Amino acid sequence: MLARMEISVELLKRTAALGGFDWSDAELEPIRPAVARLLEALERLEQLPLGDVEPTTQYRVI
Amino acid sequence: MADLGRMIASKQVSPVEVVSAHLDRISALDSKLRAFITVCADAALESARAAEADLMAGRPVGPLHGVPWAPKDLYSTKGVRTTGGSKILADSVPAADATVVVRLARAGAILLGKLNMHEFAYGPEGINAHYGDTRNPWSADAHRIAGGSSSGSGAAVAAGLAPGSLGSDTGGSIRIPASLCGITGLKPTYGRASRAGVLPLAWSMDHVGPMTRSARDCALMLGAIAGYDPADPTTSVLPVPDYAAALTGEVKGLRVGLLRAHFTDVAAPDVRAAVEAAATQLERAGAVVDEVNLTQITHVGTASAAIVASEALAYHAAWMRSRPQDYQPDVRERLRMGAFVSGAHYVRSQQVRALAAREVDEVLARRDVLLAPATPLAAPVLGERETTLGDGPSDVRTALLRCTRPFNFSGHPACAAPCGFTVSGLPIGLQVVGRPFDEATVLRVVDAYQRITDWHTRRPVAA
Repeated sequence: MLARMEISVELLKRTAALGGFDWSDAELEPIRPAVARLLEALERLEQLPLGDVEPTTQYRVI
Repeated sequence: MADLGRMIASKQVSPVEVVSAHLDRISALDSKLRAFITVCADAALESARAAEADLMAGRPVGPLHGVPWAPKDLYSTKGVRTTGGSKILADSVPAADATVVVRLARAGAILLGKLNMHEFAYGPEGINAHYGDTRNPWSADAHRIAGGSSSGSGAAVAAGLAPGSLGSDTGGSIRIPASLCGITGLKPTYGRASRAGVLPLAWSMDHVGPMTRSARDCALMLGAIAGYDPADPTTSVLPVPDYAAALTGEVKGLRVGLLRAHFTDVAAPDVRAAVEAAATQLERAGAVVDEVNLTQITHVGTASAAIVASEALAYHAAWMRSRPQDYQPDVRERLRMGAFVSGAHYVRSQQVRALAAREVDEVLARRDVLLAPATPLAAPVLGERETTLGDGPSDVRTALLRCTRPFNFSGHPACAAPCGFTVSGLPIGLQVVGRPFDEATVLRVVDAYQRITDWHTRRPVAA
């Protein structure tokens, strides 16, 4: 999982480039700690028993 | 708004007098509050004169005939710029009105102008680098935030610059400024009111709804805007009830669950005391109150953040490539976060969402409404970044979103209304959460509470 890797600016830069974003080290360094925290938190969601839960993108539309 | 509508219909006041009075207040107070981005004085007066002529000619009029209002500046308004609080859309003039703007116009409401907001609705503080930071009217020296993202709506309604507004709510953006500014704000059920013609922040989390001075006025506005819209495929075909008729003042026998952990128990002491007192008052009025906890709540913040960041960046991707320098810094940073949430993360977060919504449904199967603080703290000082809640230190942004975001995630209707003041005179907000598409009961509880208290009638010094 990505969250187990060290979240470096270089890694962020390469990941952003995959999405077509050309962001500099100076632009990415300020958000690096927040990205690392978010990825760690998202990794914790993997531990939930969600196997048979259908994802929902919208609330019940009637 | 209901009172103004009645007074206009009975010719006690004229639409021109009402609109002129509000324009005068905007001229007198808005340089300090910065609630408006655009004021449509000439058009509003012209509409008021036409409304007056209709009335004098005895033509049929709607329930909001001649009553002024102003939306957050992300609702498309034909011929009036719609900036989203941004530099990027500073000169964007829509060719058509948003569906809900059309519906309010049909009800007779008169557009006063467009209200300030956190840029592109992406922040609960209500700060704006391009049009100025909206100030909280309850803060005598204007150094506290109004809350966001519908900051101009909160300040304008609280200070009497507009009797009603439409905000939008992705993580609390109606209820947070309502709480911090001492007004009543309703986030309806997802699908109850059309988002067509409203700039999105995150499609699956965005809700539109009224911000007014009472539950009665929210009922009036919701009745005008709610219902199916072919331009928004997520709107429901369920009939729109008569919300005003549901306001019986009666809560006897209603089952009310006070949300404890994560909500009331971690709020600042004066907020906690005010919310507990509100529960006691409803109990004395005949409601049956118990205490309840939501166990899935711990994951809501993470999953919500992943969903909003992903959807927001999807909408903003082209501008984030071509004009990143034109975003204010905090919004630019939040948008960048979306680039690091994978597709698998997004779907996993939507699975968590299904679990959380199911739990709220289960809790509400045995209760009519839930009570919680709208915000666990009163209005912070502009620029304040850290606070302390009952479970430890928190950044202000996370604290502001804490009690509201779960119900964007779940889609349930939720209304914020004033329930007291801190020792320093700042409003405290109560939140009432209901079953899907049961806004009528939510508004009934808030209205009943407002009949036995006077918090919602108090006005800030700045007003």
